[in-house]
Amino acid sequence: MNELKNPGATEKRTLVEEGTTFKGSLTSTCPILVKGTINGDLEAPSLTVAATGSVSGKVKAGELKSEGELSGEFDVDKVVLSGSVKDNTVIRAKALEVKLSVTGSKMQVVFGEVQLDIGDMPSREKAEPVKTAENGKSVPPPAESA
Amino acid sequence: MAELTPDAVVSKVKRGEKIDRADLSGIILSNAVLEGASFRRCDMVGANLEGARLRNANLKSANLCEAFLSGADLRDANLDNADLEGANLQKTLLTGANLSRANLEGANLQGANLAGARLSHAQLDLANLGGADCTGAVLTHADLGECYLGGVKMMKGELTNANLSDSNLEDADFTEAVLADAQLRSVKARGLKLVGAILTKVDLTKANLSGADLTNADLRNATLTDAKLEGANLTGAKVFGILAKGAVFTGIKADWLDNSPNGDGSVRVVANQILAVLSGQVPARPADDRSANRRYFGRGDVLRNASLQFDEGATVEIESLFEQCTIALGRGTELIVGSDGVLHGCQITGAGNITINGKFFDKPEGKKNPAGIVGAHQLVVTASGALVGAVQQAPELTRFAFEPGCQLRMKISTASGVDASTRSKNDSRNDGTNKSAKR
Repeated sequence: MNELKNPGATEKRTLVEEGTTFKGSLTSTCPILVKGTINGDLEAPSLTVAATGSVSGKVKAGELKSEGELSGEFDVDKVVLSGSVKDNTVIRAKALEVKLSVTGSKMQVVFGEVQLDIGDMPSREKAEPVKTAENGKSVPPPAESA
Repeated sequence: MAELTPDAVVSKVKRGEKIDRADLSGIILSNAVLEGASFRRCDMVGANLEGARLRNANLKSANLCEAFLSGADLRDANLDNADLEGANLQKTLLTGANLSRANLEGANLQGANLAGARLSHAQLDLANLGGADCTGAVLTHADLGECYLGGVKMMKGELTNANLSDSNLEDADFTEAVLADAQLRSVKARGLKLVGAILTKVDLTKANLSGADLTNADLRNATLTDAKLEGANLTGAKVFGILAKGAVFTGIKADWLDNSPNGDGSVRVVANQILAVLSGQVPARPADDRSANRRYFGRGDVLRNASLQFDEGATVEIESLFEQCTIALGRGTELIVGSDGVLHGCQITGAGNITINGKFFDKPEGKKNPAGIVGAHQLVVTASGALVGAVQQAPELTRFAFEPGCQLRMKISTASGVDASTRSKNDSRNDGTNKSAKR
């Protein structure tokens, strides 16, 4: 693990370079960029997992951006996901962003057996019933202007 | 030759006298204090007004051809119908100035501040506005043909019916500008920002918009014939009715497009449909095409214990309350749960494309129920959407999209016997990447 200054930015961040495997607990006050592998617990203001990177374990972070492979338990404020999320993974966050891929059949993100707890618990309030339609019978859509 | 000396002009201004219709051609009034002065219809051809303080001055219909006004303070000045052809207005302060119908042909306005200025029907062809600040300026019906507008700040500018053909707009910022019915033929606009701009019926024939940011721009009924949009960002752009024959869309970025006639987001185009819609391979009116196979469940309706089946190609929109219903979708069927739609204790099966803007709750936990959504080809939960329940992916895996703001209590599982990681690696290989090899 190296403490490097990112050449493209003024901000310092912790870099786990490709080919590096880190096992154990890692706490950092600066953002972490993972191009290699982390197995263990991790706490940081932000975590970026590159396409070559993977993180497995318990993670607490302000922001998580991943294009790599995730597994374990993630407690974060904001998540931007692509790449893959492995089986038995739990992601708890205030906000999640996953985009649909534009290019061909490529999946933006591949989910295994995953639990997502995102945002507040949705209320189960129901729509105000006004009238009952017959089962299965449809009504015309609202008029559309040409 | 000026009929008044510079000192006489300054004295008259100090006394509050008007200097209307005077011959002041070639006069040197650099750095003079002339605030609020009245120079209506004056002949000021070639005058030197560098750094002059002309705030609130009245220069209506004045002839300022070839005048030197660099660094002058013309804030809130009245230059209505003034002739400024070839004038030097570099770094001039023109905030709030009235330049309606002014002739600025070939004028140099580089770095000028025109924020909030009025330039309706102004003649600006061949002018240089490089790096100028035109935030909130009004340029309706203005002629900006062959103008240099590189790096100009035109945020929230009003340019309805303006002509910008053959102009250079590279790296300019037109965020939220209104360009409805404007002419932008053959513009050089690499890296142009048009985020949220109104471009309805705009003519962008042969425009170079490579790398431009058109996020959420309204391009309905725009003409993009032979335009270049390589690497442009079109996410959320409204594209209903565009004409784009011969346009180049290589490498565009677009998570989704809005192809609804009213630009209300009711017809979303996603993923592999995007290029087809832009290039005209798919008719630009999918709503109409599907109208014969469209089902709409309106607000206030309640359906209970119903079993519904929708065949391939149908579009189903639900703004109602569904309770304990089973919905089977054919391949490619679009199911949209509208922002007022609520599905309680329901199950959706089949390889359809599901978009949830409202709420979906599957059956309560603890009853060993199957997943609420089974085998969907695509599942999108938008910013206003909520999903509580289990989702069993299709055998070929489900495509997911979640917008920030969505609420989820969701368990995703794979179809029995399918290993998502294996599938992921196969997908990567098929896409020509070596992701799996790296691992």
